[in-house]
Amino acid sequence: MTPPNDNASAMEARGLVKRFGQFVAVDHVSFEIRKGEIFGFLGPNGAGKSTVIRMLCGLLTPSAGSATVAGFDVSKDPEKVRSRIGYMSQKFSLYDDLTVEENIQFFSGIYGVGKEIREERRDYVLQMAGLADRRGTTTGQLSGGWKQRLALGCAIIHEPPVLFLDEPTSGVDPIARRAFWELIYQLSEAGRTIFVSTHYMDEAEYCHRLALMYRGRIIATGVPEDLRKQLRNHPLLRLETSDALESMRVLEGQPRILHAAVFGGGLQLTVSDAAAAAGDIRRTLDANRIAVDSLNPVEPSMEDVFVALIQAEEEKEG
Amino acid sequence: MWERIFCIVRKEFNQVLRHPRMRTMLFVPPLIQLIVFGYAVNMDVDNITMAWSDLDHTPASRQLLADFQASGRFLLVALPENEAEMRNLLDRGDAQVVIRVLPRFASDIVRGREAKVQVMVDGSNSNSASLISSYCSQIVGAFSARMTAAQRRAQSTANPGPSPFAMADARLTASPRVWFNPDLVSRNYFVPGVVANIIMIVTVMMTAMAIVREKEIGTMEQLMVTPIRPVELMVGKMLPFALVGLIDMVIVTAGALFIFHVPFRGNWMMLVSSVILFLLTSLGAGLFISTISQTQQQAIMSSFLFATPTFMLSGFAFPIHNMPVLVQYITYLNPLRYFLEIVRGIFLKGTGVTALWPQLVMLAIYGIAVMGLSAITFRKRLD
Amino acid sequence: MSVRRTLAMVRKELRHIRRDARSLLMALALPMFLMLLFGYALNLDVDRIPTLVYDADQSPESRSLVQKFQGSRFFEIEGFVDNYSAIERGIDRGDILMALAIPRDYSRRIRAGEPVAAQILLDGSDSNTASIALGYAQSIVQDYSVTLRSEGADRRFGIKLQQAVDARTRVWYNSTLQSKNYVVPGLIAVILTIIAALLTSLTIAREWEMGTMEQLMSTPVRPSEIVLGKMLAFFFIGVADTVLSVLVGVFVFDVPFSGSVWVLALTSTVFLTGALFWGILLSAVAKSQLMAFQMGIISSFLPAFMLSGFIYAVENMPPAIQAITRLIPTRFFVTILKGIFLKGVGLEVLWTDLLYLAGFSIVVFLLATRRLRQKLA
Repeated sequence: MTPPNDNASAMEARGLVKRFGQFVAVDHVSFEIRKGEIFGFLGPNGAGKSTVIRMLCGLLTPSAGSATVAGFDVSKDPEKVRSRIGYMSQKFSLYDDLTVEENIQFFSGIYGVGKEIREERRDYVLQMAGLADRRGTTTGQLSGGWKQRLALGCAIIHEPPVLFLDEPTSGVDPIARRAFWELIYQLSEAGRTIFVSTHYMDEAEYCHRLALMYRGRIIATGVPEDLRKQLRNHPLLRLETSDALESMRVLEGQPRILHAAVFGGGLQLTVSDAAAAAGDIRRTLDANRIAVDSLNPVEPSMEDVFVALIQAEEEKEG
Repeated sequence: MWERIFCIVRKEFNQVLRHPRMRTMLFVPPLIQLIVFGYAVNMDVDNITMAWSDLDHTPASRQLLADFQASGRFLLVALPENEAEMRNLLDRGDAQVVIRVLPRFASDIVRGREAKVQVMVDGSNSNSASLISSYCSQIVGAFSARMTAAQRRAQSTANPGPSPFAMADARLTASPRVWFNPDLVSRNYFVPGVVANIIMIVTVMMTAMAIVREKEIGTMEQLMVTPIRPVELMVGKMLPFALVGLIDMVIVTAGALFIFHVPFRGNWMMLVSSVILFLLTSLGAGLFISTISQTQQQAIMSSFLFATPTFMLSGFAFPIHNMPVLVQYITYLNPLRYFLEIVRGIFLKGTGVTALWPQLVMLAIYGIAVMGLSAITFRKRLD
Repeated sequence: MSVRRTLAMVRKELRHIRRDARSLLMALALPMFLMLLFGYALNLDVDRIPTLVYDADQSPESRSLVQKFQGSRFFEIEGFVDNYSAIERGIDRGDILMALAIPRDYSRRIRAGEPVAAQILLDGSDSNTASIALGYAQSIVQDYSVTLRSEGADRRFGIKLQQAVDARTRVWYNSTLQSKNYVVPGLIAVILTIIAALLTSLTIAREWEMGTMEQLMSTPVRPSEIVLGKMLAFFFIGVADTVLSVLVGVFVFDVPFSGSVWVLALTSTVFLTGALFWGILLSAVAKSQLMAFQMGIISSFLPAFMLSGFIYAVENMPPAIQAITRLIPTRFFVTILKGIFLKGVGLEVLWTDLLYLAGFSIVVFLLATRRLRQKLA
């Protein structure tokens, strides 16, 4: 994926800090997002992703730093920001006891969608969410995937240029997740800027650009391909042996092996030098009479990239 | 602005009317309260259970018993023979009062000596006991006066001329004139108060719950990121419940007038406008509770802790002038107190603005203050 | 049934209670608050009735009648006026509840030996206060009338006159007729009902909400052990509340305690057990904590307050409502408490009420256990 060719900035954060008492939830976070970009915000639970999003939406006041969204400062002009953004929170947050149509109607009223285009927008949302023939259903009766598409529909009813999605796909089955990302692409192609947080590392691949958050700080940013390249000096080897657990025991602690993890039926090893390490591994396993079925270098997945980055971060902190 | 408010109001009605529990909350508590206060909460003492122990057995003692029975307040339940039986009747609560006519009752009257009747009242319910003893002494007093008059007649036929008993006519009596509730029915006092109570409970609790429920399910966060202004959100949330309060007022007033025949002497418009003034306070309180509660359970608990003392110290069931002076001052802080005075004034006394303006002014001050305070605390931020 | 498993439940519940500040507050602060409110602030004793005097006669005779009212602790003379409209205004505004009006020819008629009436004007809206005030006023006037008559007879004819019949009233059990003596013992029953129903009702509902009930289901613990374990934990709080309330009632508010402590202990144990089982039944029936709380208020708190005879005497209610009160255990416990505190009676009088409470406890325990078993199945 390549980001649309538009260099105008949709959103900018400069040194955002959020403290809750003694606890620093967000620690000097800065980034810039271009118009039409799908910006992925990744990180484990509790890294501070939701707090950043809430500050950008004007729900929380930053303890320090500033941010501009759609051209307005979130602290100074929160109302102007709010009319230009759509927000979908982590928790499904439509009214379960209203019907699909009543929910859409309610949000179009709240966002002040003009009367003349209200019906058109409603039909668009119903069609987009695939709920056209279920408009009279009580929302609580819909399954997770439908609800989530309806929530997205309600968040974009007023055609906001910027869209915040806070872990939109948590608790949704893989097929519905795939369908949801299709929608996000459509929106991006229509020129909307999308800020999406997730802890599903595979979803990172769908984004134009990524930031990895860990313990309140951004520890890496870039397009997915670049982040993968950062891992070049830590190649990955995939090892299949007759006894994976025993192999791990004997291999751990070897100088060229940085990390070993059980993966499928075999092991995945992070090493410092692929060729030299492969020799070490074969020798060690031979000495321990473990038969090597295969040993090949593999392309790191996004998950591998982040595990490595976080480990590097933890080592730095010591 | 009005369009966004209307949007919230419509949504709120959709939700409330669809929810069976909310529907019940709207109409069941008013009916329960009306029935309980109309029928059960009754301070009138009728059908007093009485045990009668006649140690004299004369026409005079039987006449006294007949007087008691004719009063319509007393119900003869036992004729105990001895002290132990009397004690037992009171201990078990089978009789509220035991009356003992002592021997020589009739002969004392005839001889002009003071005849004695013992009245033993179960004082455990102090309220009933004071009423019972005052009814007893009224009946005995009337009986006594009749006996004196009879003595005088007997005397004057025996030896005409000036007689000390002529003075018996120089009787000083108390002629009572009871205003507003001449039959002294406690229902007339309690039922109008139910109007005030219902409005408070329904509006405080439902407003608090409706807002906190949105916090709980996460829709409040969703609303906060929309361009809606806090004041629009507040007004939109409150209007439906204000309407509910007014509907409850109509239900309870109709019940009071048509089921319990409570008099309504005042002005309709006055009632409606004071209800609206009070709604400002109670909706504001509900809003305030919602800002300090995170879960519906906390909200209902806080409303409960708010409503209980407000109710107790309002003069609804416990007269304010009986309270210690310090506590009486505290009741001046209670908006329900003013509202109750207004409602009772309108129903029973037919008083208008001329007499009730201080209470109305207090309610208005409260309404504005509470609303203002909650509006300040109610912000569109999570922190 | 296993004692060890039940005790494990009890220990777990006690830890929950200790860590949940709100419940603890509810369990200890609420009873004290209600005690203070009813013991100190709220009473039905009618005294210091704000009264206006309109003395049209202004004679030594009329002043002596006014003095009788001034001397009574039941009346507080707020002022003297010289027309009826001032009285009307005072009553309209609610500044006064009663007025005494003495007619212009009062002293002349008294001296002439003619009958005369003093007028008592009352705000009847609060019928109870009005009836009691009227009773006091009438008895003052009646007494004074007797005095007048005998003084007159004495002065003119030198004879002592007496009234024909004298009612000697003796008040048993609560001879000072203070409403706090009546209200505080019953309040103990109400407090225990609130604690049991409101606090306990949340406990199983909470386990369902948090999903820990499923965890419990997978262990060998039986429904009766869950019910009993939860009950016992809250039982300690209930006992603490009872002791606290009795001590405050007796030592702070000087409520007489004429009965036996042992009878009190026995009957409160039986009542508390039943009330706690009721709370547990509610929480087993309710789907959520919120619903359990609401059911607790409607099924326990309101009836305990209104229909138990705690303030509003059951015997004054219409027969249909009296029949309903027989379904409310608090009503029987209120009767027992008033019997123990004020009348000093024991089980020989109270055994029927106690039997009812025991029956109620057993039935509710069985229902709660069954309900829980159904829910688990």
